[in-house]
Amino acid sequence: MEDKILEALSKPSKYGMDLDISKYVIEEAEISEYANEEESRISEEVSKKLGIEKEKLDYIQINQKAIYKKYQEKGLIVIPLKKAIEENEIAKKFSWKIINPTYDKYTALTYLKGNNIGYFIYVPPNTKVDFPIYTCLILRKGAQLVHNLVFLDENSEAHIVSGCTIPHQTEGIHIGISEFYISKNAKASFTMLHSWSKNIHVRPRTVAYVEENGEFVNYYISYTEVSSLQTYPKVILNDNAKAHMYSLIIGKNSAKYDVGCKVILKGKNSSAEIISRAIALEESEIITRAKIIGKNCSKGHIECFGLIESEKAKVSTYPILISKNQEAMLTHEAAIGKISREEIEYLMARGFSEEEAKTIIIRGFSNIEVKELPELVKKQIEYIRNKFLKFTL
Amino acid sequence: MNILKLENLTVGINEKIVVKNINLEIEKGELHVIFGPNGSGKTTLLASIMGLPHIKVCNGKIIFEGKDITNLPSYERARLGISLAFQNVPSFKTVKLEEIVNKICKKFNSKRKELISTLKIESLLQRKLFYEFSGGERKRVEFFLSLLQNPKILLLDEIDSGVDRDTISIFAKIINDLIDKKVTIIIVTHYGNILEELKKITKVHLMVNGSIVLSSDISLVEKIMKVGYEKFLEKYGR
Repeated sequence: MEDKILEALSKPSKYGMDLDISKYVIEEAEISEYANEEESRISEEVSKKLGIEKEKLDYIQINQKAIYKKYQEKGLIVIPLKKAIEENEIAKKFSWKIINPTYDKYTALTYLKGNNIGYFIYVPPNTKVDFPIYTCLILRKGAQLVHNLVFLDENSEAHIVSGCTIPHQTEGIHIGISEFYISKNAKASFTMLHSWSKNIHVRPRTVAYVEENGEFVNYYISYTEVSSLQTYPKVILNDNAKAHMYSLIIGKNSAKYDVGCKVILKGKNSSAEIISRAIALEESEIITRAKIIGKNCSKGHIECFGLIESEKAKVSTYPILISKNQEAMLTHEAAIGKISREEIEYLMARGFSEEEAKTIIIRGFSNIEVKELPELVKKQIEYIRNKFLKFTL
Repeated sequence: MNILKLENLTVGINEKIVVKNINLEIEKGELHVIFGPNGSGKTTLLASIMGLPHIKVCNGKIIFEGKDITNLPSYERARLGISLAFQNVPSFKTVKLEEIVNKICKKFNSKRKELISTLKIESLLQRKLFYEFSGGERKRVEFFLSLLQNPKILLLDEIDSGVDRDTISIFAKIINDLIDKKVTIIIVTHYGNILEELKKITKVHLMVNGSIVLSSDISLVEKIMKVGYEKFLEKYGR
């Protein structure tokens, strides 16, 4: 196995530009219950950026140092995965079982060098975690390799918000491996708020395995420039399980985004929707991919909308539907265009300047209606969305 | 002093002259009706008063409350108190009606509650603006939005076409109330459906081929309705 993983270190990802991962310095793994003064200042800074109160952060990771709060409430566990693997049977059993380390060079690197620094979240059976679990992953420089494992036991519910960002301009790569196991009748949401800068490469790798009647909601928002960002989460749904995959990408400057996801409708009556909004400004390039594979009597829908707001920007969308069952109902809708002149002129006659009119239209465009998230998480998304709108226009 | 004065106004769209040499003076609180066959330039005339970007003023002036607004962009005219209910509206696939309403009310410091109930807007608020609206819903919402701007002068382009009788009565009642409140109104209409319910029509202008060829009182409408545009124009010459 180890040989294969070593081999995978040179295996490029199927999508996105290939990166030389050997040039980045990886720091030693460290775990602490306390942040020093500097770390405290950094987390304060980035939590402001993401609109998360610093006190509410349950887990902070700066490069390879994990800082966590020691608490247990209703049996909920939020601890560094490295520590969890030493003391928790579930962590031990499921780590690297949902995502194969040989998937590509980024998973292999994280497996070999990341030391399982990342968070482990365990939600006990019949437990609804009332407040979102906030985590923050901060890249200072070099490489940040994150490995998260989230396990929801039967009939539980939890909402995880992960803010990933950098405190200041730097060069580096952020790799985030997130494994989700959602047991029967459980519901998990994973909201990722990303804010990067021009010399950063980002490669999140997410897989969710959803048991019968389970539900997985994924909301991904990234609104800054970035050297390159490529992600293609995979979700496997069993009987009556549901997945809602949302993404909102705003490309700035010469950002290159390749963002998508794949849902496998394995179980009977499973259902999925993949909804993406891409706004390409300046010289940015955004690719959105979506794939639904219907293997059973199931339902799937893809909706990819793109706005191209500059002559030098580019948006591509690849919706793919594959049906292996006559009873699978799969549909898609895709459209790319610029803001219609007619709409702008109409709003201008209603008293809005051209800029105000564009903002109204982009605000509307970027508003994905998500019923499945709790109010607090929605507020968080709203905060980021407003910030982006201010930042962009 | 008049609230709106058009002086020798000639306007074009895409190099083509559509409105020719219009002279018109309107006092505060008056209700003017512009009448005429299809393609006579009625819509373009309203669009040029509103200052829509696709309209080019080739000659003449638009004076609003004594101020030359000929070169002012539409949003500044809107903020001065000019409001247009469009004949054709774009569908906004991504913006909810309620969001636009909030924005307009904030900008113009206006109240919505009563209008929402009179114009039966409530059930449409969460819908995308004009997207998959029926003809009647579109007209109701467009009239509603134009009113939310608290206009000093309201330009109504064919708000009565494709609307049922009951709705026309509701529109007419609102217009009559506005005239009582000294709001100035210009109505463009093709069929004149709404006119019989309007109480104080100041003047009716017949527009043909981009020019106002006749201005008269409401009796002009009745004459034209009786014989139709074609015959009427044959009689009076184009």
